[in-house]
Order: sequence, then structure tokens, then C-alpha cells
Amino acid sequence: MTEPADWARSDRARERARDLSLLLAVLLALLGVVLLAVYFLALNGGAAPRLAELALARVPQSGVGNPVTAVLVNYRAYDTLVELAVLLAAVLGIWSQRPAPPGFQRSSAVLAGMVSWVVPLLIVTSGYMLWVGGYAPGGAFQAGALLGAAGVIVRLAGDPTAGLPGEAVQRWLLVLGVLMFALVGLALMLLGAGFLTYPPKLAKWLILLIESAATIAIGTALAAAYVGGRPSAKGQGPSAGEASAAPSSSSLGPRP
Amino acid sequence: MYSNLLTDPLVLCITLPLLGAALTTALPRHAVPLGILAALATCSAAVTLGVDVWQHGALRLVLGGWEPELAIGLRADGLAVALALMANLVALGISVYASGYFRDPERMRAFWPLWLLLWAALNGLFLAGDLFNLYVMLELLGITAAALGALTGSREAVSANLRYLLVGLLGSISYLLGVALLYTAHGTLDLGLVARAIAANDRLFAVDAAALVLMVSGLALKAALFPLHFWLPPAHANAPAPVSAALSALVVKASVYLIIRLWLDLFAPITGLAAAMFLALLGAAAVVWGSWRALRAERLKLLAAYSTVAQIGYLFLFLPLLAVTPPGPPRDNLLAALVLMALTHGFAKSGFFLAAGLVQTNAGHDRIDDLGGTAQRLPATTFAIALAGSALIGLPPSGSFIGKWLLMQGAIESGQWWWVIVVTTGSLLASAYVFRVLSRAFGLEPTPLKFVTDARAEVPALLLSLVAVALLGLASGPLWTLLALRAGGGA
Repeated sequence: MTEPADWARSDRARERARDLSLLLAVLLALLGVVLLAVYFLALNGGAAPRLAELALARVPQSGVGNPVTAVLVNYRAYDTLVELAVLLAAVLGIWSQRPAPPGFQRSSAVLAGMVSWVVPLLIVTSGYMLWVGGYAPGGAFQAGALLGAAGVIVRLAGDPTAGLPGEAVQRWLLVLGVLMFALVGLALMLLGAGFLTYPPKLAKWLILLIESAATIAIGTALAAAYVGGRPSAKGQGPSAGEASAAPSSSSLGPRP
Repeated sequence: MYSNLLTDPLVLCITLPLLGAALTTALPRHAVPLGILAALATCSAAVTLGVDVWQHGALRLVLGGWEPELAIGLRADGLAVALALMANLVALGISVYASGYFRDPERMRAFWPLWLLLWAALNGLFLAGDLFNLYVMLELLGITAAALGALTGSREAVSANLRYLLVGLLGSISYLLGVALLYTAHGTLDLGLVARAIAANDRLFAVDAAALVLMVSGLALKAALFPLHFWLPPAHANAPAPVSAALSALVVKASVYLIIRLWLDLFAPITGLAAAMFLALLGAAAVVWGSWRALRAERLKLLAAYSTVAQIGYLFLFLPLLAVTPPGPPRDNLLAALVLMALTHGFAKSGFFLAAGLVQTNAGHDRIDDLGGTAQRLPATTFAIALAGSALIGLPPSGSFIGKWLLMQGAIESGQWWWVIVVTTGSLLASAYVFRVLSRAFGLEPTPLKFVTDARAEVPALLLSLVAVALLGLASGPLWTLLALRAGGGA
């Protein structure tokens, strides 16, 4: 007897939920339209000179040829330092929650063969991306993303550590970006140039140093985030055993 | 060189905790001594910064030696330094408390780097002079706060803090949209330069107003302004005690600071009385609703969390008063009262949460009705709760007594008498919920022999509460001088 009533009620509830989501969608679309209108108003207000000209004009003094890299590692280096800290915080947050879950089963010969081709290629491409960032699109984040991708592939192919080294080394690799960035900045401050104020002569090499450290840190962080938990002593027992059984081609250790 | 030396602490306040975080991550076995070392170093950098600003006026630093439009500026004026000093002293107290709090070594290792990153984000936020840099700091603050809040690993803590993380992200994105609009319209991200552009160009009122709405509503979500406070009580009540203290006393305060900063510095030419009145109405609702829920709360930490909702509400009551008061001593009084209330709440609420954490670990629970005899078992802790509670009520001589007094005076002088009713109601409810805890805490057991039972945990809570009651109330004079040190302008 109660069944039809329940049905009717759940039908009504579903209808109401649908109406509500429809209403929300309409309201959000309206908000989007208003924001777009305001955006074009801002764009055509023409009050301000665009920053791009100034940014381009200062590129020759920044130590790199690529304006995007100049913004990221020179003009607004401080933001990038904090972004690296955000990445570190994300991995530490993941580690604080649980030990790493076990990896996937070992891959078949076909996949393992492909991995042994792709992973070295990714590492080489990552190095290329890092270098090319000085004068063309590229840089630490792209290079780090490629390293991270290599880690993801290695884990998918069955290595539970994603090719990362043991916990002690991994912790150093994770903080390498923040550490190098902050230390270079502080060293410049102690020498009297000002925090993260590169002398033009040294700018190129300091930026390369920071970017290399950042690449390793970003790659490690992305791979560690994909592993999804801290490499704890408990988790390491079985995983270390499996890792030692894995062929050496899959041990991707971005060693500094 | 001289000016370099002067602005050094500005940079050190942010880089020292970052370095500490990196080292505690890399050397987890030495996390506690390294963490304490970083905490001491950061705190002394903040104190040095305070002294420098006190002696030489507001400081400003453009990083990288570029034009201010192109680079990121840091700045420390009276308002920023007052809040940064409070945050660093409270954070030092929390660090000392936390060094003995975590029994599980895994938790302890996870705590220190995240805590130092959160500290860096707080200092970065208080001292930032750039709209986008503020966004990055908000991100770091939100992620570390949610991760720390979920550190107990219980189901409630994880779900509450996941909600907190998502809410925080929504708030940050809304803020970022506002920043994008301002940047498109005015071509710079520097706070001082944008403020000047907004004042100079009233044709772009619609854009500025849209940015104001987006940024303030995003930050109000993060600051848990009623009715956007829904995420706060579960997130703060389920976190480990030192983290609850940091979340309630500092993290929420950072968003409020940012709202005040944007409201008074950036958007001053376009904020009218109506907008201020709207925020103050929400604040009034927060005062009444938060205090009422705190009174009805069954657990001590939930009580403290709802009390935070109420205390945040008070800060918004100042906005319409500031809007109608012309520059001069009455306005300075209002601004100082606003900051004084924020500072007092920072010290008092951190002391309260630390003490509540100790009660919880000692009794094994924090149900208020079953707390009988706490006063006999933990006299110093109960004293800390009583002190912090009297600061939350606003009893003399606490800092919030002066704050509320000046708030009511300002309300009557500017003809907005209705805020007096809100403040009185809130204070009455606050005394009810504080005395409810205290009346339960005293049992019939004999008087204790020892006042302090666990110095490392009890002394920080006691000191923080004491600062809220005695120091901020009896010696709040310098705050007026400090707040008079405003940044001269942009570059």
C-alpha cells in the first residue's frame, strides 16, 4: 500500500532536484553573461597601458630569452617559489593521510618493452624542455610534468614506487625546488643584491640552477602524488621487495 | 645597503618558515628540534620587523629590482605588522604546545612541515603588496590548513576538511576572478597602484564593483561570515588541538584581514554605506547565531568553533561605522578597536583551543556536561579557559572590552544605535556559554596541590590567554601609534 506513495514522493523529490539544478544552471549562465559583459567593459575601458610591452622590453636584462620564463623565474620569481611550496604542501597532505596503496600488477612483456622505450625518451625530452625554456616555450613546469608522466607510466607498468628512490632520498628531491630557490634568493640578499634580485651577468646560470632543481622537485611531486600515499616503512616491506625484482630499466631515479 | 638591512626581516618572515618546512620534510627524524628552531627564528624575524616599522615607519620592498608594475612588492604598514606580530606570537605558542602533543611519530612528522608552510603563507599574506601574490598565498594557506585539519585521520575530520578544502578553492577562484577583472581594467597587480587607478578612474565603476563583489564574497566564504560559515564548526572542532587553535585564531583572521585591507585601501572610493551595512548585517547575524549555537554546543571544541563564527561577526560591525566617520581621532579609535578585537580574539581563541585540547586528552572526551572536576585536575588549564573566556565575553580589562566599548561608542555617535543591541546580546550569550563551561568544570573534589601539571602544554595556553586579557587590555596604547603608520601610497 505504501509503495505507490513512496514512488510518488521519490518522483516528486527527483523532479524538485531536477528543477533546482535547472535553476542553478540558469543562474550560473546569467552570472557568466554578466561577468563576460564586465570583462569586455574592462578590456575596452582602455584605462591602462598593458604590461606586456614593459615585460617584453625588459626581457634582454632578465637573463633568459623567453618572456614567459622571464615572468615566471625573474619578474615574479617570488610567486613561483610559493607555487613550488604549494606543490610540496599538496604532496605532504597526501602523505599525511595514508601509506601508499599497492601498485598495479606487473605488466606483460609488450607493455614492459614499450615502457623501457618511452621512459628514457621522456627523461631526455624533459631535459630538453628544461634547457629550451631559456629562449623558447618550455621550462621547469613542463619538464617536471614530463618527468612526472614518466613516473606515472612506470607505476602503471607495475613498479609500486613509480621509479622513485627510497623515502629518505625522495624527501630531499621533493624539497629541492623550494630549498634551492629560497637559498639562492637569500644568498643574493646576503650579498647585497636583494632577495631574488639576480645580477644580470649571473642571471642565466642562477635561473638554470633554480629551474633544474624545480624540475626535479616537480617531477618527484607529481609522481609521488600519483603513488598516492607516503612511502612508509610498513608499505616499503613488500614494495621494496617488488622493486628489487623489477628490471633496472624501470627505476627512474631523477638523481641530482 | 641600509635600506636593504631594514627590509630584510620582511623577506625573512616568509623565507625562514619555508626553509624550516623544507628541512623538516627532508629530515623527518629531527622534525621537532628543527621545527622549534624555525619557529623561534621566524618569530624573532617578525619581532625585528615590528621594531623596524615602529622606528622607521611603513616599509616597502619591490623584489627583483624591477619596476613595481612588473615585479612583486612586499609591504609592512601598521595594520599588517600588528596582525603579523599577533600571528607569530600565537604561532610560537602553538609550536611549543605541538612539540609535545603528537604521540604518533607519523603524525608528528606530517605536522611540522605543513605547519611551517601554513606559517609562511600567513606571513606572506599579511605582508603582501600584490593582488596575485595574495592569491598564491591564499592557495598555500587553504591547502595546508585543510591537510592539517584532517591530520587526525578520523572520518569526520577528513570529510569536514575535504569540504573545507573545496569551499576554500571556490573562495580562491572567486577572488582570482576579481583580480583578473582588476588587472584587465587597470593593467597592474600592485595594491598601491591599483588603488590609485581605482580612485582616478570612475568610468570603470562597474568593473571595480564587480571585482569588489567577487573578491569580498570569495573571502567572506573563507572567513566563514554568516551564512557562509557552515563549513567552519566541523572542520575546526575535529582538527587536532594545535591545528584548531591555528585555524580559528589565525587562518580565518587572515581572510578577514584581507577583506578589511581591500575594503579600506583598495576599494575605498567605491564602497558605499549600503554595501558596508549589508556586510554588517551579516556580521550581526553571525554574532547572534554563532553565540547561540555555542551556547547549545555539547562539546567544548564545537563551542569554541561556533564562538569563532560570532567573534568574526563583530569585526564586520565596524564597516558601516568606518564608512560614515570622517578621518580623525574617532575614526582612528574605530580602526584601532577593530584591530584590537581581532588581536584579542587571536590570542584568546588560540589559548582556549589549546586548553580545550588538554582537557580532551586528559579526560578522553570534551563533552561539556561531563567535565566535572577539571578545575581540580587541571587548575592551570581551567584558569586559561576562564581567562580566554573572559576575553571572549569582553570583560575588563581584556582587549575586547576596549574594542567593544569603542564599537558601541562609535555606533551611538554615528546614530547607528542598533549595533549596540547586537553587541550586548552577543556579550550576554558569550558570558552564558563561558560560564556554562566553568560551572561544569568545578567539581566537589578537594583542592589540588599542584597548579601546573604539564608545563609544555599548559604554559602556552595560559600565556596566550593572559596576553588577551591583561596585555592587550592594559597596554593597548602603542597600537594607536602603530596603526597610524600607513603606507604612503604605491611605488
